[in-house]
Amino acid sequence: MTRPAASDAATGLRHRAEAEASALPPLLVQARHLAGSVLMGEHGRRRAGTGDDFWQYRPAQAGDSRRMIDHRRSAMGDVQYVREREWQIAQTVHLWVDTGASMRFASTPKLPQKSDRARLLGLAAAVLMVQGGERVGLTGGTLPPRRGNVQILRLAEALSDDDAEDYAPPGHRALIPHARALFISDFLGPYEPVEQALSKAAARGVCGVLLQVLDPAEEAFPFAGRTLFQSIAGGVTHETLKASALQERYLDRLAERRDALERLCREAGWRFGQHHTGDPAQAALMWLYHALERTAP
Amino acid sequence: MTMIAGIGFTAPWLLLGLLALPVLWLLLRAIPPAPKRQPFPAVTLLLGLKDDESLSDRTPWWLLLLRLLAVAAAIIGLAGPVLNPATEDTGGSGPLLIVMDASWGGAAGWKQTSAQAGVQLDEAGRAERPVAVLRLSAPEPLQFRAASGWQRQLAGLVPLPWQPGPELLAQALEAIGAAEGGFDTVWFSDGLDYPGREGLIEALGQRGGIEVYEQPLPVLGLLPASYTGSAIELTVQRSRAGPAQEISVVAQGKDPGGTERSLASLPLRFADGARTASAELSLPSELRARLSRFEVRGVTSAGAVALTDDSLRRREVALVSSESADEGLALLSPLHYLRQALAPSAELLEGALRDLLPANPDVIVLADVARLAPAQEEAVIEWVENGGLLLRFAGPRLAASDTARAGEEPLMPVRLRIGGRSIGGAMSWGEPKTLAPFGEGSPFYGLEVPQEVSISSQVVAQPDPELAQRVIAELADGTPLVTRKTLGQGQVVLFHVTANAEWSSLPLSGLFVSMLERLAVSSSAAQPKSEDLEGTTWTPVEVLDGFGRLEAAETLPGVAGPDLVAAPAGPELRPGVYDGGRRMLARNVLRPGDELMAARWPASVAVSGYGAPQELPLGGALLTLALGLLALDVLGTLAVSGLLGRARTAALAAALGLAALVPAQELRAQEATAPSQAQTQEDLRAAAIASELVLAHVLTGDAQVDRVAAAGLRGLTDTLFFRTSVEPAAPAGVDLERDELAFYPLLYWPVTRDQPLPSSEAYAKLNTYLRSGGMILFDTRDADLAASGATSPAARRLQQIALPLDIPPLEVVPEDHVLTRAFYLLQAFPGRHGRGPVWVEAAPPDAEQAEGIPFRNLNDGVTPVVIGGNDWAAAWAVDENGRPLLPVGRGYAGERQRELAFRFGVNLVMHVLTGNYKSDQVHVPALLDRLGQ
Repeated sequence: MTRPAASDAATGLRHRAEAEASALPPLLVQARHLAGSVLMGEHGRRRAGTGDDFWQYRPAQAGDSRRMIDHRRSAMGDVQYVREREWQIAQTVHLWVDTGASMRFASTPKLPQKSDRARLLGLAAAVLMVQGGERVGLTGGTLPPRRGNVQILRLAEALSDDDAEDYAPPGHRALIPHARALFISDFLGPYEPVEQALSKAAARGVCGVLLQVLDPAEEAFPFAGRTLFQSIAGGVTHETLKASALQERYLDRLAERRDALERLCREAGWRFGQHHTGDPAQAALMWLYHALERTAP
Repeated sequence: MTMIAGIGFTAPWLLLGLLALPVLWLLLRAIPPAPKRQPFPAVTLLLGLKDDESLSDRTPWWLLLLRLLAVAAAIIGLAGPVLNPATEDTGGSGPLLIVMDASWGGAAGWKQTSAQAGVQLDEAGRAERPVAVLRLSAPEPLQFRAASGWQRQLAGLVPLPWQPGPELLAQALEAIGAAEGGFDTVWFSDGLDYPGREGLIEALGQRGGIEVYEQPLPVLGLLPASYTGSAIELTVQRSRAGPAQEISVVAQGKDPGGTERSLASLPLRFADGARTASAELSLPSELRARLSRFEVRGVTSAGAVALTDDSLRRREVALVSSESADEGLALLSPLHYLRQALAPSAELLEGALRDLLPANPDVIVLADVARLAPAQEEAVIEWVENGGLLLRFAGPRLAASDTARAGEEPLMPVRLRIGGRSIGGAMSWGEPKTLAPFGEGSPFYGLEVPQEVSISSQVVAQPDPELAQRVIAELADGTPLVTRKTLGQGQVVLFHVTANAEWSSLPLSGLFVSMLERLAVSSSAAQPKSEDLEGTTWTPVEVLDGFGRLEAAETLPGVAGPDLVAAPAGPELRPGVYDGGRRMLARNVLRPGDELMAARWPASVAVSGYGAPQELPLGGALLTLALGLLALDVLGTLAVSGLLGRARTAALAAALGLAALVPAQELRAQEATAPSQAQTQEDLRAAAIASELVLAHVLTGDAQVDRVAAAGLRGLTDTLFFRTSVEPAAPAGVDLERDELAFYPLLYWPVTRDQPLPSSEAYAKLNTYLRSGGMILFDTRDADLAASGATSPAARRLQQIALPLDIPPLEVVPEDHVLTRAFYLLQAFPGRHGRGPVWVEAAPPDAEQAEGIPFRNLNDGVTPVVIGGNDWAAAWAVDENGRPLLPVGRGYAGERQRELAFRFGVNLVMHVLTGNYKSDQVHVPALLDRLGQ
C-alpha cells in the first residue's frame, strides 16, 4: 500500500513543479526569440588570440612552435604559415532585475507590466551573452555566473520570483571584480541604495549598464481630480485634491531623478538607458547589447 | 384635499419635508466627493508635494443645487400634487352605481366617456364610496367595491357592437333588483333611445339620485349599402336633427396588390334639420368587386361601418363549349368573345363541365352545347335551382339537334323550331335584322341599342303562351333574341345567336358586354329575405367589435338564417361576415329601415354633457424629474472626481440615467422577446448545417447500424474531400421525427428488420424532401442473403416503410444511367456485398437513343431514391484515423471492391449534386457540330 501513496506524493510534487515551471517557458521562448534577432553584428575581439574561429594566416616566425604550423596552407608554397585564431575571452556579466512590487504596474491592460518587460529584456540579454560564450549570473550571490544553456533556465527560474516589498534595493554583493553588470529597474525607490550599489561596483572595477524601465503613465502623469495615489503594495500613499496641478512638479522631479542617475553613471563609468513599456522591446535590447559591448573593460 | 396655489395635494403634510432642505445643504456641503484611488509606483516622487492653491474640498454649489432640487422634487412628488382637482363636492356618500350604455353609439366618443368615468371613480375613491359598474350591453351582477379596483378595469370596459335589447335589459333589472340598499347612479348614455329604457330609469330612481352624462354630438349610423342597378346607394342617419352637416363615406377594399386601402370616397350632406343623408356611388365593376366595407370617415364605431358581402364579389363564371380539344382559330372559338368580355370583371373557369360543377361557380356558360349527359344534366338542374345562372348560346350544333323540340326542357327557356333561320345571306331574302329597344320588364332596359348590331342567323322559339313573358330581348321584327326563365332560385338564359361573330355582330359590340353585366349583376341575389333563409345556419367568419374593427370570429356559434336578417344585433348575433357554405352574407349593426332615435330623459333626471377639466396628477412627473436630476448628479459627481474622462464610466452613468426614465412597459416588452431565443438557437444550428454540404444518415435506433452508417459516411466524406471538389463537412445523424431534412442533399437509410415506422408528420416531411430534390439511398444490407432484394426481413420492412412514400416506378440501373458515369465510369455498384441489384427511378417509356450517342436521352431529374442491399456503409466505414473499419472480400480483390464501393459513393453524390449534367455533357460535340464548328 505504500507504493500508491509514494507515487501520489511524487505526482503531487510533479504537478507543483509543472505549475511552477509553466511560467518559465514563455519568458524563455520570448527572450530567445528576441535575442535571435540581435545575433548578427560584432563578434569576437577582432584580434588574434585564443579562440575557435579562424582569424588569419601569418608567416611563421621564430619562436613559433612547430606544432603551430598549418601544413595544408604551407604546402601551397615555400613559406611556412601559422594559422591564427581570433582572440575570444569569456566575460562575466552580473544581472540584477528589480523584483519589487513597484515593477508590477501597467497603466492600461494593453501594456505589459514593467516587471514583465524588465525580465524579458534581462533574460534576452542573458541569452545573447550566453550564446556569445559569456558567463552570466545574478548579483547578490543567489546565482553565481556560469556559462551554458542550463544557466539560462536557472536564470529564468530565478527571475520569476516576486518580491513583496514596494522597492527592492539593487544587489551589489558578490560582484566579481572587473566583470560587467546590468541593472534593470524603474529606479523610483529610494536613491541612496542605488548610489551605494554603484559606488561599491565602481570600487571593484565593475562597469555596466543601468536601464530604467518606466510605464508611459509615469512619464505623462495623466491624472486629474481628487486622487489618492498608492504604491503597489500600499506602503506609501499620497492624497491630492487636484492631481492635474501636480503634473508639472512631478515631471520636474522625475527629470531630476533621471539627471541624478545619469550623473551617477557618468561618475562610475556606467551607461544609463531608459525604456518605456509602450515601446517595442527590440530597440531596448539592441541598445543594451551595444551598451554592454562598449562597457567592456 | 388641500389647495396650494391652484394645485391640490393629497398628502400636504409631506411638504414639511422641504424644511429639511437647508439642513441637507449644510450636510452635503461638509462632505466632499470621495477621492479616486490610483495605484502609482512613482508615488515616492510625489511625497511632500502640497496642493499649492487653496482648493475647495467641498462639493461645488451647482452640484449641491442639483441634489437639493432632486430632493425637493421627490418630496413634492410624494405629497401627491393634482392639477385641476375636482373641487366641487358631489355630496354623495353612499354606494355609487355607474351605468354605461356601452353600445356602438358611444364608441366614437369612448375615450371621453372613459375619461369621464375615470373622474367619477377618482372622486368616489377620495370620498371612499363603494362603486359598482353596470354595462347595459353586457350586464353582470352588481359588485360594490373600492373605486381603485374599478379604475384598473376601466380600460377593459369597451363598447360592444349592439344596443341593449329586451333580454339584456331584463338581466340588468335583475342585477339592480338583487343589489341591497340605496345607491346613487351615474349614467353614461350614448345618446340613443331603445325600448325599455323607461323601466330602467324607474328602477334606478327608486334607489337614489340619477345623474346622466350624454355625449353632445349626434350619433351617426351607416345603413347597409343597397344596389340600384349599376350604382350603390349609401344612407347615413343621425340621431338628432341639427344644422347642415358634411360627412364623407369611404369605400374600403383590396387593391390589386391585396392590401386594404380606400378605393373611393363619397361626400354626403345632411340638410338643415334632416336626419338622413344619402347618395349614390358609381364604381367600375372591377373596383366594385373588390369592396369590402364602407365607413363614415372619422367615426370609429361599429354603426358607422357597412360591410359588404359577396353580392359585390367577382363572380366565378364557368365557360363550357362543345369544341373538341384540337386547336382551332382563336377568333372562331365560341368562347373567345365571352372571355374578352368577362375577364375584367369575373373569375373565369374553363374545362369540362364535370370538373367545373364541384367548384360551384356563380354562372355557367354553355356555348353551343346541345345536350348534356343525363347525370350532368341532373347536377346542373340542381345547381340552377340553388341559385345558379345558366347562360346558353345557340350555334350550329344546337340548331341541328332536336333539343327542346318536342317539349320544354328544364335547361332551355323556350321550345325551339327546327333549323332556325337565316336572314340576309346569299341564299335568302331580306336584310339582316337589328335589335328592338329593350322593354321595361327586361333586365337590359335602358341600354342603348347601337344600329350597327345586326343578326344574320338565329334559332327560333316556338310560339307558346309563356313565350311573351320570357323574352327579354327581341329583334326589330319581334323575333325573340334572348329568352329567360326562372328555375328554382336560379334562372336559365338563352341567347338565340352564337357567342362568336358567326351569326351576328352582337359579340363585337359594347352592348354584348353591358348585357352580360346586367345579367351577371341581377343574377346575384339581392339581400335575401328572412323566409329565403329558413332552415339555414350561418357561421361567423369575422365579427365587428364596438369600434368597427373586424376580428376573427374563432369559436363563435352559428346563427339561424332568419335571425341573421331579421333579428337585432346582440351578443348571440354579432355584426360581421357570415359564411353559409355557398355564399357569404354581411350582417351589419343597422338593418335596412332601422332608424336612430335620440334618447329622451324625464325631467327629474339631470343631464349634463362632458366637460369638467381633467384632473392631472403631477406626482409621477415630479418623481421622474427627481430621478433625472439624480442621474445628472451621477454625471456631475463623476465630473468633479475627474472620472468622467473615462468614456466607459460615462456611458455606464448615462445608461443608468436613461434606464431610470424608460417606462416599465418597454421593459416588459423586452422580457417578452426572451423566449424566442431558443428559436434563434435552432436557427443558428440550421444555418451552420446549411452553410456546408453535409451527408446524413437516418437514425434507425440500432446502435451498431447507426455507428457503422456514421463511420461509412465519414469514409465517404473523406474520399470526396480527397478526390473531388466536393468538400463536405462532418456527416450527421438525422432523427426523422425531429430534424429538418431540407439541409441534406443525400440521406443514407440503412433498413433494419425491426425499425419503427415513421409518423405521418415524418412521412409528410420525407415526401416534401423527395419532391424538392432530395435523394434517399435505401440499403437493406442483405445482398449476401437475398439476391433479389425482396424476400429478406429487411426488404419486407423496407416495403412497409416505403409504402406511403412518393416513389416513382423503379428499374434496375440501366447500363446508360448517369450513375454509371457521373464521376467514375462504373458498371457495378458493390458495397460490402458485390452482387445485389440497385434500383433507381425508371426511365420514361419514350426515352430514345439518339443517333451517334451511346446512351438514351433520359429524364432530366435526379432519381429520388436508390434502393439496394449491398451494405455500402460497411464498405465505406473508416475509424477516426481513416483506416477501414470492416473487412471487405479477400486480399487484393477485396480492396478493389472497397475502391469500387467508394467510387459508387462518389458517383452518387455527384449525381445528387449535378443532376444529369454528365448526361448533357455528351451532347456538347453534337451541339458544336450543329453550330457549324
